[in-house]
Amino acid sequence: MQTKPNSGLFKRNPPIAGEAEAIERAKNGDPDAFSKLYALHKRRVYTLCLRMLGNVSEAEDMTQEAFLHLFRKLGSFRGESAFSTWLHRLTVNLVLMHLRKKGLQLVSLEETINPSEEDAPKRDFGSRDPQLAGSVDRVTLERAVASLPPGYRMVFILHDVEGFEHNEIATMLECSTGNSKSQLHKARLKLRELLRQPEQLPVLESSREVTQ
Amino acid sequence: MNGLPKLNFDTMTPAEFEQYLPELFASSQGGMVSQNPRLKKFLAANPDCAALVSDLETIAETARSLFQPDQEPSDALWSKIADKLQQEPGDAN
Repeated sequence: MQTKPNSGLFKRNPPIAGEAEAIERAKNGDPDAFSKLYALHKRRVYTLCLRMLGNVSEAEDMTQEAFLHLFRKLGSFRGESAFSTWLHRLTVNLVLMHLRKKGLQLVSLEETINPSEEDAPKRDFGSRDPQLAGSVDRVTLERAVASLPPGYRMVFILHDVEGFEHNEIATMLECSTGNSKSQLHKARLKLRELLRQPEQLPVLESSREVTQ
Repeated sequence: MNGLPKLNFDTMTPAEFEQYLPELFASSQGGMVSQNPRLKKFLAANPDCAALVSDLETIAETARSLFQPDQEPSDALWSKIADKLQQEPGDAN
């Protein structure tokens, strides 16, 4: 068995034209350069927050926090990873901190990551599962992901969408690597179950589509 | 569950196979369990397991397309951030 040679996130975050210059200028206090960094990364940061939180208002608040945090921490960015990788890790950590403050105080995510029996995917060996009809469209998957229990949703977004490795997720969620693998598998099983009945998936909160 | 190298998938039951699936997905190149030559015979003999693997691969593959953002924050958000930045020490904006 082979393992992935590099972080998937790094491979999926090629340098953006003008970004390096904007970072250096922003580090030196150039407000236009910071505004450019915001313009380059606002969609990815906001979409990540929205997926993790499932709420437009909270997602905007956390996007704001992420960029304020970026402003304060930009001087410590040394370019050892792609800037967007670094910014996304910063954002994920802020959202997780927010979620812990909101409802997970004094209890680690490891203990609350497991959803109830009712939410867990149902596997019934001996009976034939109907297979998905070949492909899944992006919009339907987005709706199904939004319906996942929070613990499953978090691991699925971090691994399958954002491209973080299990060891990185384990660090962020304060759980074991095995737990991350197991939760991801359960998330995919639950999605399979949800995607078999797409008509029952909730319509997502109205959102502004990217137009360019 | 790190005993994958020693396992004989040809004699495995579907229930046992599913126990190993999380590790199989994590250790397969590109998450493509269906391309693992050691599983070819087992998946051919167990169509339910092959269908499950195919579906989970489809879900993971479609998830990668979600990486490209399709949402954006309100236009007012930058103004709010810019206002806050003016109150920051070091005043970069």
